[in-house]
Parts: sequence; structure tokens; C-alpha cells
Amino acid sequence: MIDEVMQEQAAAYALGALDAEQAGAFEVSLRADPELRALVRELRSVTEALAGTAPALEPPAAAKTRLLAEIDQQLRAKAPKAAPAPPVSTPVGVRAHVPASRPANVWIPWALAAALALVSLAFLWQSAGLRSQLTAQANRINELTTSAELARAESADLRQAVAKLRASNRLANFRIALLDSLLASSPKTIAVSVWDNERQDGVFIVRNLKPLPSDKDYQLWIIDPKYPSPVDAGVFQVDDKGNVRADFRAKRPIQDANKFAVTIEQKGGSAVPNTKATVLAGS
Amino acid sequence: MTANADRNVVDRNQDAALIERIRGGEREAFIAFYDRYSPLLFSVAARVLGERKEAEDVLQEVMLVIWNKSGDYDPQLGTLSSWAVAVTRNNALDRLRARTRRLRLIEEAAILAQDPDATSYPSANEIVHGRERAELLRDAMKELPADQRMAIELAFFTGLSQSDIATRLQQPLGTIKARIRRGMLRLRDQLGGAL
Repeated sequence: MIDEVMQEQAAAYALGALDAEQAGAFEVSLRADPELRALVRELRSVTEALAGTAPALEPPAAAKTRLLAEIDQQLRAKAPKAAPAPPVSTPVGVRAHVPASRPANVWIPWALAAALALVSLAFLWQSAGLRSQLTAQANRINELTTSAELARAESADLRQAVAKLRASNRLANFRIALLDSLLASSPKTIAVSVWDNERQDGVFIVRNLKPLPSDKDYQLWIIDPKYPSPVDAGVFQVDDKGNVRADFRAKRPIQDANKFAVTIEQKGGSAVPNTKATVLAGS
Repeated sequence: MTANADRNVVDRNQDAALIERIRGGEREAFIAFYDRYSPLLFSVAARVLGERKEAEDVLQEVMLVIWNKSGDYDPQLGTLSSWAVAVTRNNALDRLRARTRRLRLIEEAAILAQDPDATSYPSANEIVHGRERAELLRDAMKELPADQRMAIELAFFTGLSQSDIATRLQQPLGTIKARIRRGMLRLRDQLGGAL
């Protein structure tokens, strides 16, 4: 029979509501008591049922694509290396031309055989190199294809999310902008800016933007028709994957966040944007 | 045995087979697991975090745990899906604690905007377990006394400790512990074969 104190602990444990020390102590009892384990098993199923009361959301297709790309990469890394080129032996056919009995000029066929063997060796070496290059190229193409599919799916998800946000009346005070890359070399870069006009602050999320050298910063600008030039909204850096999620504020009061842009500036940012170095823009 | 209980036994057998195949590195088994449980795990992460994009990151991390560390799962302590839910909830709570409160508010607004009728949406249970079982679970939750339900939901979805819940609800710690215990045992008894 499990007493009330242990039942309380079992319920809290199943919910994940015990701290690490309490959970550790409880697990000692758990290991020793099959009846307690059975109770925890039942209560964990209750927890699962509780979890399932959350409104149902389907993860976007991009999530599965990204996950399977990661799994495939792991599987490739675990797979045994490609079989090495077969050991070089006498090429097929050469031995057949060696006469059974050796005539006076016996060295001639051996010399020919050696020459052929050398040529074959060179050919095999070159062929192994080419195979290796082809395999590397094929892997690279696969990676690029996966990456492009992922970028397309992520971009579609983001656009869909922004469209839904815009269609909603619940965010009347929010200005939501999707910023596209202006660089032909970075078509995968995409960003979303959510600006709360009432609170005069916002959140900026960017994906796949090239990291900058340490003496440069990205700088976010808000274009408000009230001002003759863009308003400084702060500088940011991206992580090594090109992603960042940053809170931002404008340096001047914003009346109408008409458009957003990102430029590359010297470390610390500039008072006016270097428009020739604009990398993202959108409204 | 009820239809729900029958179905539950089938689910458990399928899950046991799945986890064995995943442990063997079988990609197709992993995809089957993903297709079956990703809506539940994603919904839990989104409910805890109030935001979809980060919930996606949680889902990715949890699925990689399932793929790489399925040996950590102990069938004696619950079903595969209840383990996956616990891993998801803990991962989402870790992220939640790391965030600023202000950012959370904006993101909560964003998820509400994306799902303006979220309250009328089917539950994750409905997607994973079917309508009949989901209704049973929903009814059981509804029949739970409000004070018990609130204590349980606060513990599970917000990650508050029992002491924090006691402070927030201005109740003695012992009362909160008792509410959680009674509520959880009552749910177990009401759900019976559906679990």
C-alpha cells in the first residue's frame, strides 16, 4: 500500500514538478518498489493525456525536412567508408600471354607485363581519384538540394505565418514586416520584424544571414515617412548559422513603421545608413 | 475490455516495436514515430512556449533525442509517448525560463494571431488518439474540480514548483500537494482503460 506522502511525490514526479534533488531521492524509492513504479507508470499516462489537451498544431513541413536532413547526415557519418580501390595485382589478361616455356628473350613479355601493370596502376589511381571526386560532388549536390528544399519550405512557412498575422485583427498595434534579401549571393536569407507601435519596441528574427567580420555590424533601420531619413533601430550580429532573434528599439519616436531595412555598417553602427550596403529590406 | 482499452494495447505494442527498430537505426521506423507523435509534441511545446518557431526547435531537439538516445527510455516507467512528452515539456520549459518576459508577451500575441480560434481547435489528443478517446480525456479534465485542474496545469505547462504554485494561489504548500495528488489519481481512475 502506497501512503499519501508517496502518492503526492509520485504525482509531482509524473508531472515533472519535483526539483532535481527531490526527484533523485524519489527515484531511489522507485527502484526498490514495483508497486510505486506501477503507480508512476499510470500517472505518467495521465500526464500524457494532460499534454494532449493542448490545442492541436501540426508542425510545418520544413521541420520534418530539416530533421530528416540531420538524421541522414548522421547516418552518412556512421556508414562504413566506401570500399578502397581493389589492391593492384597483375592486370587480368596479362598472365595469359606469358608462355609456359621461356624462350631466349624471356624478359620481353615480362617487361611488357610490367609496363602494362604500371599503366594499369596509373589508370586505377586516376580512376580512384575521379571516383572520389565524383562522390564528393554528388554529396555536395545532395547537400545543396536538401539545403535549397529546406530554405524553400522555411520561406513558405514564414510567408504563411506573416500572412496570417497580417490578416488577424488581434495584432492591431503590431507592424509585421517580411524582409527579403537584396543580395543575389544570399537568396536564402529572410527576416521578420514585429514592431509594437504602442510600446515602441519590437522583435527582429533573421535566418541565414552571412556572419560579418568583427569590425562590422548589421544595423536595422525603420523607415517612417515622418522623418527625412531612416531611423536607427540598433545593431546586431548573427550566430555562426546566420540566425538571430533580437529585441530592438528605435532611436526616435516612431509614428508609422512603413518599412524596415538592414545595412552593413562599421562596428557600433552609423548615424545614417550606408544604402549601398543594404542587405535586407521589406514592408 | 473496452474498445479504447483494446486500441491502447495495440498502440503500446506498436510503440514497443517502433522503439526497437529506432534503436536499430531504422530510418523508416523513426519517420513512423515522427508522423504519429510530432503533432502532440509540437502542440505541447507550443503551449508551453506560446510560440511556434521555437516549438519547432524543441521538436527538432526532442526528435534527435528519440533517434540518438532512445536507450534512455525505461519502459517500466511509462509508455514511449509519455517519455517523449516529458522530454518535450522539460526542453520547452528550459527555453521558457531563459527568455525575457516581454519577448514572451509579444510571442504569445503572435501565436494567438496565428490561431484566432485556438480554443475551438481539436486537441492534440484528437489528432494522435482519435476523437472518441480525446473526448473522454477532455470530459475527464472538465469534471476535475477547478482548483485541482489549475494546480495540475500550472505544474505541467508552466513548470512552476509546488511551492511557487502555493505562493501564486495563496494556499498552503500542503494544500497544493494534496490537490495535485487527488487530481492526478482521480484522472487516472476516470480515464481507466483509455490510458
